[in-house]
Amino acid sequence: MRHIFLFLAMTLMVSLAYSQQGKIRGTVIEDESGFEVIGANILVQETGTGNITDIDGKFTIDVDPGVYTLQVSYIGFQTLTIEGVEVKSDEVNVLGEIRLSEEGLELEEVVVKATAIRTTEAALMTIKKKSPQMLDGISSSLMKLTGDGTAVEAAKRVTGVSIEGGKYVYVRGLGDRYSKTTLNRVDIPGLDPDRNTIQMDIFPTALVSNIVVSKNFTAEMPADFTGGLLNIETKDFPDDKILSVSASLGYNPQMNLNSEFLSYTGGGTDFLGFDDGTRDLPAGARSDVVPTPISVITGDFTDQDVADFVGSFNPDFAAEQQTSFLDFSLSVSYGDQINLTKEDSNEDKGTLGYIFSASYKNDYTYYDDAFFGEYQRLSANEELDLRYANTKQGSIGENNILIGLLGGLAYKKGNSKYRLTVMRFQNGEKRAGQFDIDNNGDAVGQSGFIAVSENLEYNQRSLTNVLLNGTHKFGGDKSWELDWRLSPTLSTVDDPDIRRAAFSIGQTGSIFINAGEGGNPARLWRSLSELNAVSKVDLTKNYRFAGEAAKLKFGGSYTFKERDYEILLYDFQFFGGSQIFPDADPNLILQPERIYPTGNIYVQSGNIFPNPNEYNSTATTTAFYVSNEADLLPRLKTIIGVRAEQFVQKHTGRDVIAAQGGDGNELNDEEVLNALDFFPSANLIYSLADDMNLRAAYSRTIARPSFKELSFAQIIDPLSNRIFNGGLFSYPDWDGNLVETRIDNFDLRWELFQQGGQLFSVSGFYKRFDNPIELVRIPTQQTGNEFQPRNVGDGQVFGVEFEIRKNLAFISPAMDKLSFNTNVTFVESRIDMTDTEFNARKNFERRGETIESTREMAGQAPYVINAGLTYNDTEQGWAAGLFYNVKGETLTVIGSGLYPDVFSEPFHSLNFSVNKRLGAEKKTTIDLKVSNILNDRREAFFQSFNAQNEIFNSVNPGVNFSLGLSHQF
Amino acid sequence: MNLRFLLLLLGFGFMFTACDDDEPAPSFNAPTIDAPAGISTLVAGAASQAVNFTVTIDSELTGSYAVTGTGVTITTASGDLAAGSNTVTVNFDAGSTPGAASITLTATDSEGQSASGTAVFTVEENPSSIRVVGNITADATWVTGKTYILGGRISVEDGATLTIEAGTVVKGEAGTGVNATALVIARGAKLNAEGTASLPIIFTSIADEITPDQVASGDFASPNLGADVTGLWGGLIVLGRARISASTDAGEQLSEVQIEGIPTSDTNGLYGGSDDADNSGTISYISIRHGGSNIGEGNEINGLTLGGIGSGTSISNVEVVGNQDDGIEWFGGTVSVTNAVVWNAGDDAIDTDQAWAGTLDNFVVVTANGSLFELDGPEGDYTARHTIKNGSVRAIFGGRTTGGSLLDTDNGTSVDFSNIFFAGPLSFTDEDDNTVYLTITDDEFAATTFENVIFNIDAAELGNLMEQGGAVPAGVSAGTTSQADISVLGWTWAAQAGGLEGL
Repeated sequence: MRHIFLFLAMTLMVSLAYSQQGKIRGTVIEDESGFEVIGANILVQETGTGNITDIDGKFTIDVDPGVYTLQVSYIGFQTLTIEGVEVKSDEVNVLGEIRLSEEGLELEEVVVKATAIRTTEAALMTIKKKSPQMLDGISSSLMKLTGDGTAVEAAKRVTGVSIEGGKYVYVRGLGDRYSKTTLNRVDIPGLDPDRNTIQMDIFPTALVSNIVVSKNFTAEMPADFTGGLLNIETKDFPDDKILSVSASLGYNPQMNLNSEFLSYTGGGTDFLGFDDGTRDLPAGARSDVVPTPISVITGDFTDQDVADFVGSFNPDFAAEQQTSFLDFSLSVSYGDQINLTKEDSNEDKGTLGYIFSASYKNDYTYYDDAFFGEYQRLSANEELDLRYANTKQGSIGENNILIGLLGGLAYKKGNSKYRLTVMRFQNGEKRAGQFDIDNNGDAVGQSGFIAVSENLEYNQRSLTNVLLNGTHKFGGDKSWELDWRLSPTLSTVDDPDIRRAAFSIGQTGSIFINAGEGGNPARLWRSLSELNAVSKVDLTKNYRFAGEAAKLKFGGSYTFKERDYEILLYDFQFFGGSQIFPDADPNLILQPERIYPTGNIYVQSGNIFPNPNEYNSTATTTAFYVSNEADLLPRLKTIIGVRAEQFVQKHTGRDVIAAQGGDGNELNDEEVLNALDFFPSANLIYSLADDMNLRAAYSRTIARPSFKELSFAQIIDPLSNRIFNGGLFSYPDWDGNLVETRIDNFDLRWELFQQGGQLFSVSGFYKRFDNPIELVRIPTQQTGNEFQPRNVGDGQVFGVEFEIRKNLAFISPAMDKLSFNTNVTFVESRIDMTDTEFNARKNFERRGETIESTREMAGQAPYVINAGLTYNDTEQGWAAGLFYNVKGETLTVIGSGLYPDVFSEPFHSLNFSVNKRLGAEKKTTIDLKVSNILNDRREAFFQSFNAQNEIFNSVNPGVNFSLGLSHQF
Repeated sequence: MNLRFLLLLLGFGFMFTACDDDEPAPSFNAPTIDAPAGISTLVAGAASQAVNFTVTIDSELTGSYAVTGTGVTITTASGDLAAGSNTVTVNFDAGSTPGAASITLTATDSEGQSASGTAVFTVEENPSSIRVVGNITADATWVTGKTYILGGRISVEDGATLTIEAGTVVKGEAGTGVNATALVIARGAKLNAEGTASLPIIFTSIADEITPDQVASGDFASPNLGADVTGLWGGLIVLGRARISASTDAGEQLSEVQIEGIPTSDTNGLYGGSDDADNSGTISYISIRHGGSNIGEGNEINGLTLGGIGSGTSISNVEVVGNQDDGIEWFGGTVSVTNAVVWNAGDDAIDTDQAWAGTLDNFVVVTANGSLFELDGPEGDYTARHTIKNGSVRAIFGGRTTGGSLLDTDNGTSVDFSNIFFAGPLSFTDEDDNTVYLTITDDEFAATTFENVIFNIDAAELGNLMEQGGAVPAGVSAGTTSQADISVLGWTWAAQAGGLEGL
């Protein structure tokens, strides 16, 4: 300790003497383990001054401008000399990670150039090499290179990762149910009522430090993931004073500067990603009885009340053509660290770091030939081709606003570090669509009509997260580490005032509204809010076992989640027959003269209070774990642990009959799940050579039913018109007892690490699913739009993964700036069908077809391929990359008898990016990016035995160009 | 028991010794009475009510009881009591005046000892309308002179019978989506709704000011709602266990499915089976109005839905007026319907699916927003034919023009038409002064037959009614002779409003 103060005093004296000094900063880590070295000595040879590393292995030294040689030493490690460290007046030279190797037999000194210290992917690779878990990731430096704007674009470059719907991250092709996302290692709520994982497109990469995907479970992680646990780490303590500003413009010939782009007039703050109240629910709409001609007759309201109530709804139903602007984004980051220790004081008052970052993004999407189809099999089994039931084609315009704000404070003193991060993401998506609908009356359950429809939607999402985190090192040799985190997150998703209007076109050409055809004009409000509160404590004891470093970890966490969900529906009806319209302009519907009592249009409420389309759920998870990491044999590292989770889920909700006051099903804060589970895990890492590992792992994990799955909810999804029945309803072929899925995971991996972040690895995995849950189509519903989550037959997944990161210098030294990386995942999945599904399929077995009793798991991609070729010339400041990503044909909607299965087609995404750093100091960067170079369509098809594939949905995203400029001040 | 026997012996002993000694007579236990606790409620005028008293008489004695009441009329005023415990059921009718009421039972044993107990009641005013909430799981009767309000989707569950007496009015509360109201007769349940020509049963909306008194007066029209007001409540859904053609395969039939409009989690919505003779009750002289709530995009409730109804069911004299969806829709089944009127259907007037195997005999259809006849074939391997005969149809009337086809079939439609008259006009002049003909989809007649099907149009123009321009099928001709016997339909609102004139 005395030495520390001595050094500190020396540093201070030096800094006192000169005013125009610069700074050298860096982090010292153990080369082998990747752990930070606390208390390493840093000596500036030329001045004899220096410092020691802090709790994070970081150091700062103030020196006069000049070129210096640094000596880094620590007991038991080779001393490292870094030459050519240039310091400029009032600037900080950040050396990045300085790796110290353990002393060998001979005491030798290692000398490196300062320029060689800075690494990009190598840092992440070190984590990967030594991590007890099998993990993969992407760092902020690679994100910068690829030019990815949001976390979702960046994440798809990670081995085995695929993206669903442009928003959701799946790992190893396993569906949403088996993936999990955390933010700074704490649970965050999803932003979609139907999903487990969060929509990743709301995280701007400007705020992300790195994204790491753990593919197998160890005891300190939450146990409710199976495919992968994706953690987003936001930016922390800046090493350097940073002020960076960046801006970009994007252009897609089909979407931007297009005068046919569809939108509608919303609120004054739409450009900030939230509604200003324009789309609020009209007053009185929540009443049991709303003003209608009926409630006028019953004496509750007057004619004027009815007219006023209709008038309180925004009369716009029509999509408007507006010219779209270019996509653009702006971001600014500012941060620094301040040494609070007074210059004339010996007292360590610590270091305060802060960061503030803001980003704004505005994108336009326009599909001019979107197509959505519903197809059926015919009853005669020799008829192989499918028959259309309904087709919908037209245009969709979307304007997406994304704002990210992050503020962070970090304080370090002695062996403690505290961090407070506050984040807010705001996202608003305005969508307008126009469609021609052709319904086939010959198809089962269809009435047969021609209609035109217009949809106006607004979806706003927000996420506010606070993280308070402390890290303390204590005990002899600082061998104990305590990490605690408190993190509340509030997220909201609102779809305020979704509007839908359709006109039927009669056989005689008349234009009218038919409730049984295109449906009545309708309005809908949907809202979800979720609170997650996480507290966790992790303790690590570093010790020696058989002469090698070992670790004992234990800790606990308590997570509380609460979700509120509600849908409110309103229907515009005619008191008397449907009016005839001169043309199919939906804005005619609410013209004053058509409104009751002058006309006959009124609004009817589709809601009962208490509302069956509403629920409240809570879940608490109390967890404890213990895990030990030690080299049980020379070269064999083992991590063996067990985690216990007590999970309690409660639900408040009801079905329609209960809501109407009858003897239905109702839950009032009742426990729907209460289980204690133990999750063992064992990871073995056998070091075949210094640069080669063989890993084997076993773990048990869990996938629990979601809030609405363990309920008596009957939720009509307004967007797909599907009815979701909670898993607790019993049917003749389902006992209403929905249980968790327990999964056994087995992994094997061989990996070879080479210089400069090169890597070659081969993995195999096997997963066994006990009682997997799938959304099952209810066969007794003829229109086929009712689903229920059920435990289906046991499932299995086998997979193989390859990853190569190779510098092409081995072909020719001239190619040393070129690197190739690829990762490929092949998966075979199998699930035992339930009798219900098997019989339904058997009933529609085509002539010549043989129905098997197993099939692939829904959402499981058979393969995922990522490949990239990168060029990197640091000296000249050029970086370029060509990236390819594809996911194999995936079963997305499980068919049943009449309805064929839907498979999403591989989308061949080929993107190119290039950036150039300008100026002597390379502080300005220009980047150019071209995405979807192959101009592929996003499509999913109905597939049936020997039948021509028919489109389920199809849109054309077009080719996108973007140009960005960023500058570091 | 042993103790009692001992006491008895002891008692005899005393008797022998006491006779001569002229000691007092032995004491017997006085009667005790348990009257119902608390205050029960009665509806004013409720007949055939009952209340139980428990009376205990000494084991060696007998007795009798007498009942008096205030505010009620006792029908069992007295009776005998046996030794030991007696349960006395007192039958009575509630009085017609609201207020407090009571029944007092006095028991007297053979020794002249007596006791009394009182049951207390509150007589509530007899409401003219009764709101029904929750499913009907035991037999129930809805009585003449009352209005019953459907507070939601009310199902009569398997095993229960709902009897609706003549002249009753049933009104559905307003709502759309999940909030729609309807009366569902589940499989295994029965609806006995037998009105008469002078006292029909009316199913309508809460917005309809019609009263049982008005019906009793012979005026069956909705006083405040036009015949084209639709979608104010759901409808009447009757489900049974007869065969339907809903799915296909080489082996087993999908013999039951869920009726449209009811979520599958409510199993009262299942229909279909194998009992073609199934009996869902008797329905006659009912008029269903202003229904067809929208319950989802493109999904409403028909006026009268008949899903898998067996031939044991009797349905006659049915009227559907102003329903937002179809008038009458059959989903398979074997039931026949006679004497029907469908007026101003919001979608199709007569709709058949899933191989209905019955007969529609003697009917009138007056305009529809959709098609007048929307007749589909089987959806599974099971096939059956239905018969539609003796009907008169009006496509354009009262300012309304049918929006769909005169007749829409598909290739599997197995129907025999006979003696059907399509009244004129069958064409209209559009805003561009073009003559537009209503048409028949004539390309899918593979399993459809016509006999004496008459269109009121010039014979030369018959071809204009063929949508695809095909040949006029055999059995179709031009003519002016009405085919329905409207004399039996005089009780309907349509007839009272003049809608059947000239048919």
